[in-house]
Amino acid sequence: MSPLDRRDFLLQTGGSIAGMALVPDLASTGPVSLPEPKSIGVIGIGRQGRAILAELAKIDGAKVVAVCDTNPTRLKTGQERAIGAEGFADHAAMLDKRRDLDAVIVATPTHLHQTPVEDALAANKHVYCEAPLAHSVAAARAIAAAAEAKPGRVFSTGFQGRSNPIYQLARTFYRTDAFRDFIGGSAHFHRKTTWRFPTENWRLDPEVSTGLAGEIGAQQLDVIHWFRNQTPVAVAGTGSIALHKDGRTVADTVHAQLQFADGSVVSYEASLANSFGNQHEVLRGTNGTFSLSWTHGWMFKEVDATTLGWEVYALRQQFHQDEGIILIADATKLAAQGQLKAGIGLPYSPLYYALADFLRSVGFPNVPVACNAKEGLKATIVGITMNQAVVGRTTVAIAL
Amino acid sequence: MEAVRFATLAMGTRFELVLLGEDVTPLRAIGEAALERIEETHRAFTRFDRSSLLAHLGRTAPALTPVDADQFALFADALYVTGRSGGCFDPALGSGALAAALILDPASRRVGLASANTALDFGAIAKGHAVDLAVAVLKEGGVAAAFVHGGTSSGFGLGAPSGQPGWRVGLGPSPGDPTLTLCNQGFSVAGVWSTRNGHRTRHTVNPRTGRTLRADRRVAVMGPSARLADAWSTAVLVAGARPSGLGGEWRVWRSGRSRQWTEMERTNP
Repeated sequence: MSPLDRRDFLLQTGGSIAGMALVPDLASTGPVSLPEPKSIGVIGIGRQGRAILAELAKIDGAKVVAVCDTNPTRLKTGQERAIGAEGFADHAAMLDKRRDLDAVIVATPTHLHQTPVEDALAANKHVYCEAPLAHSVAAARAIAAAAEAKPGRVFSTGFQGRSNPIYQLARTFYRTDAFRDFIGGSAHFHRKTTWRFPTENWRLDPEVSTGLAGEIGAQQLDVIHWFRNQTPVAVAGTGSIALHKDGRTVADTVHAQLQFADGSVVSYEASLANSFGNQHEVLRGTNGTFSLSWTHGWMFKEVDATTLGWEVYALRQQFHQDEGIILIADATKLAAQGQLKAGIGLPYSPLYYALADFLRSVGFPNVPVACNAKEGLKATIVGITMNQAVVGRTTVAIAL
Repeated sequence: MEAVRFATLAMGTRFELVLLGEDVTPLRAIGEAALERIEETHRAFTRFDRSSLLAHLGRTAPALTPVDADQFALFADALYVTGRSGGCFDPALGSGALAAALILDPASRRVGLASANTALDFGAIAKGHAVDLAVAVLKEGGVAAAFVHGGTSSGFGLGAPSGQPGWRVGLGPSPGDPTLTLCNQGFSVAGVWSTRNGHRTRHTVNPRTGRTLRADRRVAVMGPSARLADAWSTAVLVAGARPSGLGGEWRVWRSGRSRQWTEMERTNP
């Protein structure tokens, strides 16, 4: 039997069974179709709002009928991108006039989430709120309370890792002997950019910004909370302005160590002064390590770990002295079609899956919310507290 | 007057921006917004990434997907140049003619592919498109003078440096090589040779024959848009002559084996 025949044989027999056993009923990688069209209003047409409009256009049944922004230029851009959408400068006017909206997506700057979220919930709309929930613990708690007071409405937080098919696959392995016991991890975000907008620069305003730790770190650390089913209890941090000495006071480079109750530590680093490595989370276990980069993921096995049945047909990639198994969503199906290699990397952006999950929860009553208010609140508080530790160059207890 | 430079890697090449202005801090913010438009365009139109818009259109063919006005303009212009060039430019290479492969619905601004097997390659227009979008961001941000190029093969001169009639782009190192002066104009150059990983290869395929171009020639096109300049430069390279469908607002140069550039006469001014 040739190696190819053997591979096919294993796929059709034992290999596929092992694969199926380890990869049960994972979310499809798309494209997504909703059971019936949903009318959507998007509040906030900045960079994230524009990205949201682009992803919604690819979801069959997602109809953006209203866009809202206080800035006329951004509003015009929103209407250009969502053809036929009615434009509003005021979200209250949008909610008042467009009673036909099924769902509202809030993508305003973080410190401006609270009012539109509360108003949309009060108008009985399903709400997707971009992550983090808010810039302060008080505002985040208020949003979470408003969401929990509306149990019949879907409220989803835009922590995207939970909807990412590659991350879902990795989390499945995390819960098996392939990973075993968590010993520690790290996450980093590296991008060489000023982080300035041409107009409003709220991310560089220390009064309302939660900095790299709160704006980016919260998103990445939520992945670790979700894998581990626990959040850190304290965080030590420090930060500096390493490159952008343009009068800003918000650090362009931050470091933090997040301490868990079991003594394990996750380190976090983010910088706007260097782009190497981009965005990554690493979770280390006694039997294996996950390296996750949002559109791609790898599993590195310890040499003494048990061999998994499906490994015979897994694709691998060399990283210096380590060989990673490429995590491919829909691997069993693709392998059966001889298309495994074509499955490397996500076919849609992580944002697409987060939005699709939200709309599925709206469209199907029994589909659980990927990141509900309670989980979103935890991640937001961890991010805000991490920023406090960075700003104060100190250690702060995390009070959920 | 300060000059601020930016660069990003997209579409297999290096895009570079030079912005002129008085205050560096806002220039940086506007320049980075322009870089983001280039990267966004790369993500939408690359054929090497399964998360691109093109890949999505393939997966959902023949269904139509709403696209933004800029994306629709790229598809529409690709179709326009394909038709006006008699097929010398055709992103549907290998899939038949673009007109048969691409479904455009202007009323709903939606786009689709006729078949999941349609392979579109916008490599000969998307670079110029990205340059045009970056320039639009700069103009919107109030930048009066800037130069944007993608891999030195497609670019746009916005305004002009102080005291200059425009941004000067030389077509070669020799004293006799022409210099284009760009003031609110785009350009694109195309040749049959490219160098990848140290190997020099012929890379341009004639869509009408499916064969690699053998003639040793280069062309340069200058006109109102980098996107159209990009597409037309390929069309002229393939045609070997100025296509009759190319409007009089465009200037075209070519060089052959002699390496000497000559401007091609406008046949339809």
